[in-house]
Amino acid sequence: MSSRRKFLKQMSGAALAAAAAPAVLTWALPLPQGQSVEVPGEDGMILRSFRFTDLETPVEYFNSWLTPVPHFFVRNHMHEPSELNADDWRLTIGGEVENPVTLKLAELSKLGTHAVVNTLECAGNGRSLQRPQVPGIQWGKGAVSTARFSGPRLRDVLQRAAVKSSGKHVMFRGLDEVPGKVPPFVRSIPIEKALDSDTLLATHMNGAALTKHHGFPARALVPGWIGAASCKWLTEIKVLENEFVGNFMSPAYRFPNQPVKPGDAVKPEDTHPLTALNVKSVISGPADGASVKAGNVNVHGAAWAGEADVVKVEVSTDGGSTWTAANLSHERARYAWRLWSYEWKAQGGNYAILSRATDSQGRSQPAVPAWNPSGYLYNAVDQVKLHVS
Amino acid sequence: MFRNRGFVNSPPGRRGLFPAVFGAAVAMAILAAVMPFWALSDRPLPAKATEDLPAGAMQAKATTACLECHEARIILQQRLSKGAWTKEVDKMVKWGAVVDANDHDALIDYLSTNFGPDQPAYEAPRTAADRNTSEKSAARPSK
Repeated sequence: MSSRRKFLKQMSGAALAAAAAPAVLTWALPLPQGQSVEVPGEDGMILRSFRFTDLETPVEYFNSWLTPVPHFFVRNHMHEPSELNADDWRLTIGGEVENPVTLKLAELSKLGTHAVVNTLECAGNGRSLQRPQVPGIQWGKGAVSTARFSGPRLRDVLQRAAVKSSGKHVMFRGLDEVPGKVPPFVRSIPIEKALDSDTLLATHMNGAALTKHHGFPARALVPGWIGAASCKWLTEIKVLENEFVGNFMSPAYRFPNQPVKPGDAVKPEDTHPLTALNVKSVISGPADGASVKAGNVNVHGAAWAGEADVVKVEVSTDGGSTWTAANLSHERARYAWRLWSYEWKAQGGNYAILSRATDSQGRSQPAVPAWNPSGYLYNAVDQVKLHVS
Repeated sequence: MFRNRGFVNSPPGRRGLFPAVFGAAVAMAILAAVMPFWALSDRPLPAKATEDLPAGAMQAKATTACLECHEARIILQQRLSKGAWTKEVDKMVKWGAVVDANDHDALIDYLSTNFGPDQPAYEAPRTAADRNTSEKSAARPSK
């Protein structure tokens, strides 16, 4: 339920009557912020940018294990392809291969279908929470969503082309339309990850063909890794001897090798490319700043850990002095988030509610985020402030 | 700014009704002062799809240099020091933004004055609601 409709439900009868007043009045008053922008196929998303399109999932939507496509965050680096015709679309596989291949969509579909439920997160999710602030899309907590992606395995496509022993990296190029002299959004992943049985050329999302915002007709799906690894609108796959050299491999999407003092510069040689996501939990309800009634309060959210498993989510209602384990939902998959909930017997007062996830690699969320110049992989302990009356 | 936008967005035929509803509008204004206005309507009026850069001597030149490739919100949401803005402008010039050498410093001043670290955060709008999607997804709404 949108917060707007929830708010309407909570309004008094008198206010509801006022809400039913003729719509003709609405134009006669100043329009404050909070209006909406029509973006076809998208529902109540936070509009970080219209052109190019960057849409954030509001955390209150983290209430279903699979995110409906209209609620799935959108991160575009460039303009979407202006023309996409499934009949004319071709995917070429070349580079360090014995048999370069060009596939039509129908041919790609014949290479089998494998499904992977994956939590996709933009490396810059949470960037707006970094201090000092850093440039980039100022994501809040919602550049992350989960879907069942399906399509042929990348390795089956690569096997058809017969990768040479010299092939160590796999490059993806999409049909993004590049403005000005902006470097194209081209990236590569190591051959080991490309040959993993869960790495896909996804054509479907939650059982339906990919929408344009999500990379129709085919995208890479590199499970457990930063979203930027999963290039959209694929047109070319090239097997390389070395990591692809380009802006979106370096300096973009790299992380400092050593902890950095907030605000300090980092030399490129002291960084490494981002790969798998780290461990993280987010509180999706009650909303930050909400007032709730004393009694049982259901604190809930989602937690994920890239290629690792979430083993524990703990909640603190006393600012971090004591922690209690939350219940993890039974729905799970290797690369997917776990929904969690905690029944809190709340007494009147003001609270900072915290959540902290721990994963199978022994990692847990830090109290203070690891600042870095591009604001990647923010994963500090999450917090909402609540008033209990 | 918002007042103007409201008239621009309103269907032209409704303007003639303005005197007739003025008294009611005053009453509604009192209500609007104590609650988010958009809560009055289940289908809020559309906001502008793309934003404008703020007024200033460099507004026109910044619009030409920056908004050719992306919309203003990309800029409006940044909160950067002058040093960070200098790096961004220089990167964008390398990537094709047309900035006259004589305007370089003024553009950086314009951006760092309007979008410095101490400015309040930019409030992003929402995309329009889709009732079917919202209710399907609300398996477990917040209590």
